[in-house]
Amino acid sequence: MSLAAALRYRFMRDLGAPALMGAGGARRRLRPRKKAPHVHLGPPLECGRRLRELMTRHYFLARYAKGAMPVAWVTSGAPVELLRAFGFYTVYPENHGALCGAKGMGAELCAVAEEGGFSQDLCSYARIDLGTAISGRTPVGRLPRPDLLFASNNICQTVGYWYNALADRWGIPLLLFDTPFNFSGEPGEGSIAYMTGQLEEMIPTLERVSGRRFRMPVLKDVLRISKETAETWGEVLGTMKTRPSPMTIFDAFVHLAPVVSLRGLPSALDYYRTLLAELQGRVAEGVGGIRRERKRLMWDNIAVWFKVRDFSLLFAENGMNFVAATYTNAWAETAPYMDEARPLESVARAYSRVILNNDLGDRLRLMEQMIRDYHVDGLVIHSARSCKPYSVGQYDLKRRLMEDLAIPSVIIEADIADERAYAEEQTRTRLEAFFENLDG
Amino acid sequence: MDSFHPPSRKDYLDRQQKQGRGLFGVFPGRYPREIFWTLNVLPVEVWDPPLDTSGSGAHLQPTICSVVKSGLELIRQGRCGMLDGFLFPHTCDSLQNLGSLVRDDLRVGKPCLDFYPSKIPDGPVARAFFRKEIERLSSALEPLYGPLDSSALSHWAARARELAEALETLYSLRAEGRLDTTNVEFYRLVRSVEFMHPDDLIPVLSGFLKDRVLSEPLTSPAIVLSGVLPTPWGLLSLLDDLGVRIGDDDLLSCGRRIPGVCGSEKDPVAAVMESYFGMPPCSTTHAPLGERALQLLERVHRSRARGVLFSIVKFCEPELFAYPALRDSLKRQGIGTLFLEHDVNREVPGQVATRLEAFVEMIEDRGSEEMRNRLKGPGGVS
Repeated sequence: MSLAAALRYRFMRDLGAPALMGAGGARRRLRPRKKAPHVHLGPPLECGRRLRELMTRHYFLARYAKGAMPVAWVTSGAPVELLRAFGFYTVYPENHGALCGAKGMGAELCAVAEEGGFSQDLCSYARIDLGTAISGRTPVGRLPRPDLLFASNNICQTVGYWYNALADRWGIPLLLFDTPFNFSGEPGEGSIAYMTGQLEEMIPTLERVSGRRFRMPVLKDVLRISKETAETWGEVLGTMKTRPSPMTIFDAFVHLAPVVSLRGLPSALDYYRTLLAELQGRVAEGVGGIRRERKRLMWDNIAVWFKVRDFSLLFAENGMNFVAATYTNAWAETAPYMDEARPLESVARAYSRVILNNDLGDRLRLMEQMIRDYHVDGLVIHSARSCKPYSVGQYDLKRRLMEDLAIPSVIIEADIADERAYAEEQTRTRLEAFFENLDG
Repeated sequence: MDSFHPPSRKDYLDRQQKQGRGLFGVFPGRYPREIFWTLNVLPVEVWDPPLDTSGSGAHLQPTICSVVKSGLELIRQGRCGMLDGFLFPHTCDSLQNLGSLVRDDLRVGKPCLDFYPSKIPDGPVARAFFRKEIERLSSALEPLYGPLDSSALSHWAARARELAEALETLYSLRAEGRLDTTNVEFYRLVRSVEFMHPDDLIPVLSGFLKDRVLSEPLTSPAIVLSGVLPTPWGLLSLLDDLGVRIGDDDLLSCGRRIPGVCGSEKDPVAAVMESYFGMPPCSTTHAPLGERALQLLERVHRSRARGVLFSIVKFCEPELFAYPALRDSLKRQGIGTLFLEHDVNREVPGQVATRLEAFVEMIEDRGSEEMRNRLKGPGGVS
């Protein structure tokens, strides 16, 4: 680490970032409102502005982190708490991929990776990230090159292949947290010991890369914040059980960013406390995420990032509100397993229990529970070309949910961030038929 | 040449069953065969059964690979009545969910087991877990087949070593160009591992080695084959027709499952583990790409191959992610590569055949140039 880089980072953190936020706020205040809030949507969340600031600051400071502190690129399901204990600045390529998708840059960056030999059939988050790694192009200005890669295959094996390609390209260490798939319920003690052992084995590498000694009390503090953040995020989602739901799942997709990218940091916890207070206020006042909530829906799989706004309006116009998603729930569901009294073991337990690391029967039970808890009338299943662990089995889940709970559902074939893998007409036709079915 | 034909799979399995041997279906790719043999069970591997996979569309998206689809079809069409159950080694995301789908949705009424090979580098933590996984697999099989006898496991671990050594000898001779065989025949023979018992297969391999060793190496151009499976068979026939020899492979189903180091420990489980961790680096266990590239280069050098053919099953993520880095490593060494994608059990389209022919011409030209340079060089004939 260099002193000059550290001083520059501090300057940007203490003066540059606040100045940037201030200028952005002033610009927004001076700019005339482009249009009135949409007639079918509820009033926008006040927290939206704060979220923008939080994430803009995160990506802004990332530009200056290299050399000032150790930098890691991390998968969304990896136990980042361990890295936080060593002071890593963490960047989440999946979050960046979602951002690129939402800003319409997905196809462009995917094409860069494809020119480099990566097949168009591979995950678009990975292709976007590899495209950024190859070209340096990104909508956030610049991503810092990492000193370390940290991946967990609790969400998919894809991240292992993807991060391996990055590690090979840059010649940097990759730590893979290998979480045995729960084929038959709870992880066995052999699996827990295996995962705990891996976390212990990672410590010397993290010490070497970061230049810092491991201190258990620091990890415990991080773990406490992380657990509380995940629980608060769970409470945020829990407000959507009320009628009308105070926000839509499209809002939740956007407000998910801090629990993914800033988990374990006080800023994320503060943010969700504020968001929760706002949502509780809306619940008390009966303010909904859409104006007229006729039907309540659940979403399965990652968002179609380049269509979030369009879908949000389309469903709102039809009085359909998404009130739950298996995807957003993933960062809340395992919080109870975290225990600062048994830090590494509890991290192993919590991270091995995420939805995609469990068999389809477990996913079915979770979906049925959510359908009941959130009073869901119908289900939209996104069969994402990019995501095999989420998508393989969806056809049968659809059938079984119909058999068990008589829940009507529709499957849309799309992608998470590559807009080339999306057929507007076909999707619209399917959704219109679904709306008719729900209303019939 | 080309006279070896393995026994018909169905007839062979019928005979095995009549002899009182259990039959257990095993999906791709790495797992401890020794455990099955010890329990007097034949692991019957399911890689690419030749079936129409259109019916799998009711369960699987079009973007799922044909290995997974054909495996599902085998079960869906009820063509595995003789199998006592299924093992799903954790090889990729699609196979992982297929296991769950077969058990929970197709409700086959047979045991569906999983096996999780460690995906971290070899070390005490990885080995301790592997041991636990072997115990877990044994415990799941014991109610069906009786207890696992430790001394019998030692015997079968030794038998696995013999099999690996026979296969390695075959591979070495082929790499040297001293095996009188065709590409089609070689893979018919090697793929017999997928369903033949070692007591039957080892003599077959020994007999083959006895009859087919050449005193002078072949001079036909060689390539290395990389991917998951050597098939489609049409591709191998085409290479035979073009006079190109596959000198080596790093195929998941073949060369990548032959341990370089075979376990010989007294503790039979340790011996099984040693063989497992001695297998070549593999994309499915997240081995560093540099290690895999090095292994591939070694295969190129030992077989004096002029190029590498990446023959990849469409939608196979582990291989598709690895391909660019492997290709670039080979290119830096001046080794030509060709990338082909296909579905298993499909005919080789004319366009692919044309690309393959162009590739072969390219490596033949390069070979001639090398020869000219050698002749022009110091001590050579100008």
